[in-house]
Amino acid sequence: MDYLSQKRMDHGHAERFVQLMAEFERPMRRLCAVYADRAMDRDDLFQEIFLAVWRALPAFRGEASARTWLYRIAHNVALTWQARQRRRDTQEGPLSDHAGPETHIDVRRLELKRTIARMPPGDRTLVLLWLEGLSAAEIEDVTGIKAPTVAVRLSRIRKALQPNEVTP
Amino acid sequence: MSEDAFPLRAIWMSGAAGDDDLRTAVERVLDKDRAQRSRERRLRGAGAAAMVALVPVLIWAAAFGVSPLVRVAYALMAVGCVAGVVAEWLYLAWSRRALPGPDDTRSQLQRTAFMLDAQVWLTRTAALWSSPVFVGVLLICVWLYRERTLAGALTIGTLTLAAWIGIGAGAVRTTAELTRRRRRLDEALADLHA
Repeated sequence: MDYLSQKRMDHGHAERFVQLMAEFERPMRRLCAVYADRAMDRDDLFQEIFLAVWRALPAFRGEASARTWLYRIAHNVALTWQARQRRRDTQEGPLSDHAGPETHIDVRRLELKRTIARMPPGDRTLVLLWLEGLSAAEIEDVTGIKAPTVAVRLSRIRKALQPNEVTP
Repeated sequence: MSEDAFPLRAIWMSGAAGDDDLRTAVERVLDKDRAQRSRERRLRGAGAAAMVALVPVLIWAAAFGVSPLVRVAYALMAVGCVAGVVAEWLYLAWSRRALPGPDDTRSQLQRTAFMLDAQVWLTRTAALWSSPVFVGVLLICVWLYRERTLAGALTIGTLTLAAWIGIGAGAVRTTAELTRRRRRLDEALADLHA
């Protein structure tokens, strides 16, 4: 691959990057879907996240797990990216720019996405990390919010995501 | 984390496959990296070129100008030119330091907000730190008016004032945009730790 032969990257760095991208592409696309409604914006945010990963990778020595390290970058990029946007387009995100929900689970997922997109940034960050399967301790590591506080806030947020609120 | 989480997680995990294959996605990221680095290199290069090409000439003119007024004018322009290049380098450096990295969210948002404050200060004072260049050119206009033609002095003076106002207006717009961004980061930070 031509990107592996660029002068400024060593081979291991590039391989690690491709590995990370393969492993975390789907979680990052899910994150981007909450922060941006338009496909173009989602792609832009996705690229910004992996651009930050690419630039931070040479300094990554493995003190933290790759997963929490990457989620830190992703949420930092998403929050600063959103601060740059002129429109607050996640407040009333339409469902219509998707191919069209075809199954019950698609509808549930899109409603869930919309509910999360309407949340304030702090709650949104916590619930996204929790939905991706991070523990309270890992969420503390990513956000800097103490694990007990994370647990309390998540318990409150979960109530807002009960099935009767998620089901259309 | 209760068990009722898992249906939600299952629903959540069911979505969002990318349109690109992995190779295309990687290449697009690296293309973006190259484009941004090249833009930054060009801006730094332009600053360095101004320092190397323009400042020595202005200093020479400040030393050997035809009259004290002209010498002061060129000296001011040299000072303004250096101030402009330094300001541009600072702005780029602070922009780079504001970029999100692998810090925890609280530290990251605080650092970005701090860097935005620094950039706001720089843009807010743009009309001031760029003023030596414009004052210098206006002094040259005075000399032109006294020694040469009124029309030439008026033309150059008008263009200079227009450029100065333009820089001021651009700085006001940029300051407003950076302030808006700073406010939204503050909101996110406050909400994160509510």
